[in-house]
Amino acid sequence: MSALLHAKDLVVAYETGRGRVQALDSLNLTVEPGETLAIVGESGSGKSTLGLAVGRLLPAVALKESGSLTLQGQEVFAAAPDALRRLRRDLLGFVFQNPMSALDPTMRVGRQVSRAAGGCGTAEMQALLVKAGLDEPERVAASYPHELSGGMAQRVVIAMAIARGPALLIADEPTASLDVSIRARVMKTLLDLQKDAGASLIVLTHDLHLAARSCQRLAVMYGGRVVEVGRSATVLSRPAHPYTRGLLAAAAGNEAPGEDLKPIPGLPPLLRQRAPDCSFAPRCPFAEARCTDLRPEARELDRREVVCHLAERVLVEASR
Amino acid sequence: MVAALTSLWRRDRLSALAFAILALLVFLGVFGPWLPLGDATQVAAGPRLSPPTWAFPMGTDELGRSFLPRVVEGIRYTFLLATVAVIITAILGTLLGMLAATVGGFLDMVVARVADVLFAFPALLAGLLVAAVVGPGAASVITVICIATLPLFMRVVRSASLSLAERGFVIAAQVAGATTWRVILRHILPNVMSVAIIQITYALSIAMIIESALSFLGLGAQPPRASLGSLLQVSSVYLTIAPWLVGFAGLTLSLAIVCVNLLGDSLRDAVEPLPGRTLT
Amino acid sequence: MRILRYLGPRLLLAAITLTGVAVLVFISLRLIPGGFADIVLGPFVTPESRAILTERFGLDEPGWVQFFKWFWALLGGDFGVSLVTQQSVIAELLRRAPVTGELALLSLFFALAVGLPLGVASAAATARGGGRIGRTIGALGASVPDFVLGSLFIFVFSVWSLGLKAGGYTPFFEDPIENLLGMVLPAVTLGVFGMALILRTTRDAVLRVLTEGHVTAAVARGETPRQILRHHVLRNASVLILTVSATYFGYLLGGAVIVEVLFSVPGVGFYIYSALLNRDYAVVQGGVLFVAVIFVLLNMLVDLLYVVIDPRIGAKRG
Repeated sequence: MSALLHAKDLVVAYETGRGRVQALDSLNLTVEPGETLAIVGESGSGKSTLGLAVGRLLPAVALKESGSLTLQGQEVFAAAPDALRRLRRDLLGFVFQNPMSALDPTMRVGRQVSRAAGGCGTAEMQALLVKAGLDEPERVAASYPHELSGGMAQRVVIAMAIARGPALLIADEPTASLDVSIRARVMKTLLDLQKDAGASLIVLTHDLHLAARSCQRLAVMYGGRVVEVGRSATVLSRPAHPYTRGLLAAAAGNEAPGEDLKPIPGLPPLLRQRAPDCSFAPRCPFAEARCTDLRPEARELDRREVVCHLAERVLVEASR
Repeated sequence: MVAALTSLWRRDRLSALAFAILALLVFLGVFGPWLPLGDATQVAAGPRLSPPTWAFPMGTDELGRSFLPRVVEGIRYTFLLATVAVIITAILGTLLGMLAATVGGFLDMVVARVADVLFAFPALLAGLLVAAVVGPGAASVITVICIATLPLFMRVVRSASLSLAERGFVIAAQVAGATTWRVILRHILPNVMSVAIIQITYALSIAMIIESALSFLGLGAQPPRASLGSLLQVSSVYLTIAPWLVGFAGLTLSLAIVCVNLLGDSLRDAVEPLPGRTLT
Repeated sequence: MRILRYLGPRLLLAAITLTGVAVLVFISLRLIPGGFADIVLGPFVTPESRAILTERFGLDEPGWVQFFKWFWALLGGDFGVSLVTQQSVIAELLRRAPVTGELALLSLFFALAVGLPLGVASAAATARGGGRIGRTIGALGASVPDFVLGSLFIFVFSVWSLGLKAGGYTPFFEDPIENLLGMVLPAVTLGVFGMALILRTTRDAVLRVLTEGHVTAAVARGETPRQILRHHVLRNASVLILTVSATYFGYLLGGAVIVEVLFSVPGVGFYIYSALLNRDYAVVQGGVLFVAVIFVLLNMLVDLLYVVIDPRIGAKRG
């Protein structure tokens, strides 16, 4: 009960022109206060849907069908509009992928930051900007978003996200749209501020290295489920899920930063309903008959949770 | 057809109603002369300026003609001029828009500029000028409608084609050596049809407004022809003693334009729905 | 400096546009069948008056010389002389411009005062899955022609005198109250179309802004719908609304012909229309150009306003 965020059997589906598409397939996840968690997966794995679901920011065509998602014990999807706004204001801070589109183009940065901080004064607003690593707060505050570089704009977004001392920061590919040269520094600012505030941080990314460097825990998502979750070092040194293994092999450290992880053959699945089997099986080099017959459930193995019938074999392979 | 209409009725009553009324008006316009509605030309068929009666459902005009067949004649002429003009402008505007986007450069600049100027210019003022040059009548009505609605097509089709021209299959066709016309007709036209069709509905409503406005000013339909606008002009003289004449003519005209606009709106909503988002 | 660089090309384009309109007007009036002099002077032309006309318009010179003479005079503010009254066209236009201007302003005021709030409300309703009422009002207002609506008003207000005057114009400085009472009906008649136009534009613009990332970000910060609309949507949507309002205002300045005729408002449109009926082509020519000049100036003003509203515009193109 002390968990900050707790998702249990969460099912979210999109109503599209070509029928229902299930984005989260009975997802389970827990985030403790103060911890950093990276959620890794390809596009279409459901990680962005999860990120938006935490703030109930899903588009109108997305429906939460079953399961629960609680923040400090409050059911997010049952909250009344006022309670929901209070929750977003007081508990959550979002950092989006593209800072330019996350800032209002017609409002000076200073005013946006002080509004995000609940209408604070100039001094407090500038202090926030400095905390977010912006050296010339007066100049930045007087600028419009289009007058800033991408890195500066993302720092402004970060300043706004921490303005009210949130309990949970959610950053969706926070550095993917930035220049390669400044990614590490912006990420470090985000982590420093998170530590200062004592907040938890969820980083949604497809960049395994970024995840490994910045977060204590790592959750790997596939087909709308968390297929493996544990301490970053544990999971990455000895992956127990074939998909984690594939990701790791693809990101063997020599690819150019920011390049997509692609060399796992095949495509992520497009689920119509609850998967009756292991949805990774068609792409899995280990797959056996039972993988296509029986839906694997989460189980503890070697200090992490994994969703795979053959995890033991994968572990053995990995240690070789 | 019936199934499509019933599904439209279930989804969107307003548009279905608009469609039905419009179909009725078109039917009246096309087959009016052969329907037993009375003779539009017979003078002194009844008393002058009679209010609606069983014999004259819309009353009679200043010459004692039954007003109902006059209104049907008006629908016929207004719809005819509007449709002809919109067909011309749709073909011309769509071709120009696609050409400008595909060829680019100087031609594109000229087309964009011409569209701006035409769009900017008050249509009725252009109407006065054209009427001065061409003289009142069908030719000047059609010219003015074309001037006023051409930019609708040029702008929308141009921008739709521009976004297409950057897509792979168009570039591929160009690289493969297809001529400009072939690229336009085979690859771009099918993809801009939907936006052009939406513009056709809006152009039709503008066309009907312009036709009736010019006729109302005496620059459109000339007697003995009647359009809804010229009927309004003649009737408005008797506005205080026979208000039903202006009423019937005005109601018919407004109804026709409302229906066309409603259909245009629902077409647009179907083709390019605005993604909704709630603020809670 | 940045403003200048932004405005410079626009000034040039405006000049080109106006020259184009002048050429068109010049050519079109020379195309009138029967020859300019015959049309102007009518069937009972005497050789003397023909000679005077030929002299004044340089009709014996080649077309392009005629054009340049005429155009040069235009640049000096000489719009010619009415063939019927022998009065200066520009003087008459300037005398009537304030009347049309007042009518246009009142109509625009009505259109914005009603259309903007309805548009925002309709967008909010549409975002919640409704919005039928706004849609219907929009379609209705854009569809009822001004002369139908005007006739309705005239009938209603002449049968039951309800305090407003249907027809009959009183100059503003003679009696402001009477003037306004007489202007309300023509202004509303003209303004209903604009109301519908602004309603539809506002709804579309607001709905489009609602899908932008910074609105999602504002929702994520827990701002209320009212705060989001007021601070993050309206200003973003106003660029499109402003464009449409300006186009509409230009239409009002030049296109108020019917309403001016219907309500006997002695404005520019009425003047040009009566001139056309009198075959006073010098006035038609001058009047059309006059409206075009005003229109182009108006568009320049709007271009300037853009820079104030959306800081990105000046920077991007400047």
